[in-house]
Amino acid sequence: MNAIRPAPGSQASLREANRARVLGVVRQHGPLTQVEIAAASGLSAATVSNMVRELDQAGMVGLSRSIRNGRRAVLVSLASGGGLLAGVAFGERDVRVAIADEAGEILAHQLMPLQADHVADDGMERAARLLADLAETVSSGVENIAAIGFGLPMPVDAVSGEAGSDAVLPGWRGVNVTKAMAGHLRAPVALDNTANLAALGELRAGALRGVRNGCYLKFSYGVGAGIVINGDVFRGSAGTAGEIGHVTIDENGPICRCGNRGCLDTFVGSRALINSLAASHGPLRLKDIVTRALGGDVGCRRVIEDAGRRVGVAVAGVVNLLNPEIIVVGGLMSEAGELIMAPLREALDRCAIPSAAATVELRAAELGDEADIVGAIHRASVLSHTNISIS
Amino acid sequence: MTVTPAPLDVGAGTVLKLQGISKRFGAVQALKNIELDVRAGEVMALVGDNGAGKSTLVKTIAGVYTADDGTMVFDGREVRVGSPAEAQQLGIATVFQDLALCDNLDVVANLYLGRELTAPSARGRLLDEVEMERQSWELLRQLSAKIPSVRIPVASLSGGQRQTVAIARSLLGKPKVVMLDEPTAALGVAQTAEVLNLVERLRERGLAVILISHNMADVMAVADRVAVLRLGRNNGVFVVSETRTQDIIAAITGATDNAVSERAARRSREEGSAS
Repeated sequence: MNAIRPAPGSQASLREANRARVLGVVRQHGPLTQVEIAAASGLSAATVSNMVRELDQAGMVGLSRSIRNGRRAVLVSLASGGGLLAGVAFGERDVRVAIADEAGEILAHQLMPLQADHVADDGMERAARLLADLAETVSSGVENIAAIGFGLPMPVDAVSGEAGSDAVLPGWRGVNVTKAMAGHLRAPVALDNTANLAALGELRAGALRGVRNGCYLKFSYGVGAGIVINGDVFRGSAGTAGEIGHVTIDENGPICRCGNRGCLDTFVGSRALINSLAASHGPLRLKDIVTRALGGDVGCRRVIEDAGRRVGVAVAGVVNLLNPEIIVVGGLMSEAGELIMAPLREALDRCAIPSAAATVELRAAELGDEADIVGAIHRASVLSHTNISIS
Repeated sequence: MTVTPAPLDVGAGTVLKLQGISKRFGAVQALKNIELDVRAGEVMALVGDNGAGKSTLVKTIAGVYTADDGTMVFDGREVRVGSPAEAQQLGIATVFQDLALCDNLDVVANLYLGRELTAPSARGRLLDEVEMERQSWELLRQLSAKIPSVRIPVASLSGGQRQTVAIARSLLGKPKVVMLDEPTAALGVAQTAEVLNLVERLRERGLAVILISHNMADVMAVADRVAVLRLGRNNGVFVVSETRTQDIIAAITGATDNAVSERAARRSREEGSAS
């Protein structure tokens, strides 16, 4: 990224912008003919023709013969020089997959809604088939996937590659993801928690860039944290570091899915929030609560504020322990913006020791819901370079 | 005609309510006393075995058939739908399984088929291609549709993209209810994902969506409630967040109320009391 760019406004910079535009269109839609590129990019046919010729000479796109509307046509597709990297990030209600080139540039991505409490093998099979489909749209094959970064929203054992036996999604309990996924796609798999992956993503390309000590707080269906220490994600001895959602808030509180009592998740997890609104608002989804709160619904606002305050108390503990420079808040709930950030900040200021609270900055995530997939791609990239073979 | 249907208040009351709908084809009682209510901003899945009456019910709502008996309340007033055109005018849009797209026409022409926009010119009124194309892009962008060009024939689009075009077309009339008949049948997994995302987006716009599907995984992923039809009758409405897939399948197949399951239940009760 340190190459000298042409002066802004010059012919050369226009040329570069047009090139990026052509590449962007092909990246977004998959293989296209030049006419289609012109239509989708808004560039003239002559410009597209020039750009494609240049890109072809530079080896950045591949040309193949095809037929469109009964006429011969040349399909332009992205050249996949080396192996592809794959990223998979499961949420409670969806799975997000992406394919990236060797440099980690995302070529294609797709989100698929899943049923709540889906079972692991069904989820993995869908993810594998989505990856195969995506690999084809970037005119490559599933066999070119060099490594997979795989994220689950639950504690995982990074050493054995198993989802924790106290997994929050019951369908995944004790499943050996590394083995199963490697069986589907014949590529090595790096398993991690999605909060850790999102922290990694923000560390490489988002709000945590250049931060030595920080924390990524993923506030979605549950709460998780990715901890950054000395410029790297800290995973603990078995990869379960940062499980802030299972910090005990009330020793006599309700039983959590993890088997303990009064975990933070039992107060601010999606079930708790949805249940607290069930009587007044009927069955809602987590996203509905956020949308309605933003739309001015007082009940939903109250629920979100209370959740923010509760999480703020737990985060104060993290601030006391780690003294981070910055805490980045991401995940579905963070889309509520100041509605959640303000009470969170207030509780944090109240509960953390003043010197630590004064130096910590609370900031919204930059990559949005893409953070974990960016992190997953990065894990895959590291894995493909170290070339650890699975045995 | 504007492209954007004004978003309704999400979760506002019932948009469509059926009461005691019955339909008979000669000796066959296809529907018997069907009750169904659909709310705005809700995805209601309609499931059932082959011959359960799903398609008949959809066609009755869409105005293809007229019900022999029963009432239909749309948007707070009782309506009689005599033809598909009437249903569309009311605000009930249907995307049938065959999509009814013209393969040889491009995306814009398909979207505006039969309701082309015109603009005055020196030679009388001509098609306003520019405006139609602009609005097509606008609509497809709102649906986050991955379509490379609106000027390519529909024949060269993938199954998921064709489904997207068909759904986009149904939205042009500013409907309040959209019915999708088997939208994910015969689609690959990436295209299925695209259509499911589209269903979620319709829901976010405050539309009531009636989704007919055989694929339980898809239904459980996007639906809020599931209405089960069995042999032309209601066989339960389930709230997805409180239901397991098995219960719905049991309702579809009738496993909940046959002699075998009753005997099994009786036996397990007896064993339970014996031990």
